[in-house]
Amino acid sequence: MKLFSSDTRKPVTILSAVSSILIILAASSFALAQQKVSRRFPAGKNVRFELKNVTGTITVETWQRDEIMVTALMDNRKATFNPRQTDTGLVIDIVGDNRGRGDIGDMNFKIQLPVRSSVDLETRSGQINVSNIQGDLVRAHIWTSGDIRLSGVNAARVFASNTSGDIFFDGEFAAGGTYEFKSGRGTISLQLPANCGFHLVATAPVKKISMGPFWHDGMKLLSEGKRIIGDVGDGRASVTVTNYQGDIQFFRR
Amino acid sequence: MNCENYQILLSEFVDGTLTAEDCARVELHLTSCPDCADARNDLRVVVDFCLEQRGQYDAIPNERAMWLRISNLIEAESSSPARSQTPREAGWWFRLMNRSWQLSFPQLAGLVGAIVLVVAVATAFSMYRLSSRTSPLVAGFVPGSNSASIDERYSQQQQTIAYWNQRVELNKARWNPQMRETFDRNMGVIDAAVTDSMKQLHQNPHDSVSEDILNDALNDKVALLKEFSDL
Repeated sequence: MKLFSSDTRKPVTILSAVSSILIILAASSFALAQQKVSRRFPAGKNVRFELKNVTGTITVETWQRDEIMVTALMDNRKATFNPRQTDTGLVIDIVGDNRGRGDIGDMNFKIQLPVRSSVDLETRSGQINVSNIQGDLVRAHIWTSGDIRLSGVNAARVFASNTSGDIFFDGEFAAGGTYEFKSGRGTISLQLPANCGFHLVATAPVKKISMGPFWHDGMKLLSEGKRIIGDVGDGRASVTVTNYQGDIQFFRR
Repeated sequence: MNCENYQILLSEFVDGTLTAEDCARVELHLTSCPDCADARNDLRVVVDFCLEQRGQYDAIPNERAMWLRISNLIEAESSSPARSQTPREAGWWFRLMNRSWQLSFPQLAGLVGAIVLVVAVATAFSMYRLSSRTSPLVAGFVPGSNSASIDERYSQQQQTIAYWNQRVELNKARWNPQMRETFDRNMGVIDAAVTDSMKQLHQNPHDSVSEDILNDALNDKVALLKEFSDL
């Protein structure tokens, strides 16, 4: 007796083949719906890069080339993307480029820049990740929700703000520099070297400010601890941290 | 001989001091030249007038002495100080205005420097007073103001928020559901910060931290509405 007769095996084979084709078609149609664009732009050593996105993740990294590499992954094929080269760098304004086009979906960017670059990044929602930038300015602003992660940043001016989401900073404060971190709801974490020096104004009216190893008795507590003011080290950098409804935490690197 | 030479001789001809020979020659020319005859007639009228008026205008006996007197008078006028002519009973304003001001360069430079200094100090003082009066209005809330004032100012800010909110609501229907949900949730975060700080300020109207948070949150709310109003 045959375990599987040819009559019973045939429909199973056909069914599995059709299913496979459907799965492949679905996957390929999703891949076709997404569009990946990569462009390279010549750049000097001190580049200024600006990006104003609508929604999506922005990732900025550095490399050892005097070039800017922009890789955009777009959900929607009707979204346009027109980088504009300036005397000092590159400007991408997704908001302006797609005005009047309705919902353009997520646009995820990966940017590669020379190390000594300034970056000014903005999005209505989505994440922003910046690593190893050592230029003059790092600005990351999320109008609504999204986390901001700045690691290995050594810039004279750093501004990071969102309405909800965490903000993480791992870097150094330059003497005379200005550093501002602001969130509506989320945790702001600053990871700093032990020898850093800064003047701090930290405000968290609802939750806790944890100074960790940077706390000392010379610091002033205002309004029942809602605000801490004081100098750490030489106090030469200016640091302002505000969190409406979340925690503020300091860590030693 | 041309007319020019004859006219040179006309003065002597009229006076009668010319030689007979020259006199005959001039008379002959005058009969044939009407221009020179006219010149002779004019000269004769002048000479006759002078002869008639002789004695009425005596010559100055000593011209040099007279010019010396005139020059002495002019020098005396110019060297006499103006204040010497100021009456004793004149007021200080009259004396000031009639004074002759003569300043050396260092005096002039010092005077200009003093004026600049006074104007600079006055301007700085005015600016300081103006800024100290207007800055709380710009910030939105006066530190240490009472709760009634906070409510009043809060309602003023609410008018701006209402305007932008209206614009956002017009466009909101076009947004995708995810964007609407994200916007509303984040607006809720800011509203919670506003509510919390208002509550704190009602309990303690002098809480500067709550005032700062309230200002920041309201400004953030307006900025967020503006950003999303053209979406």
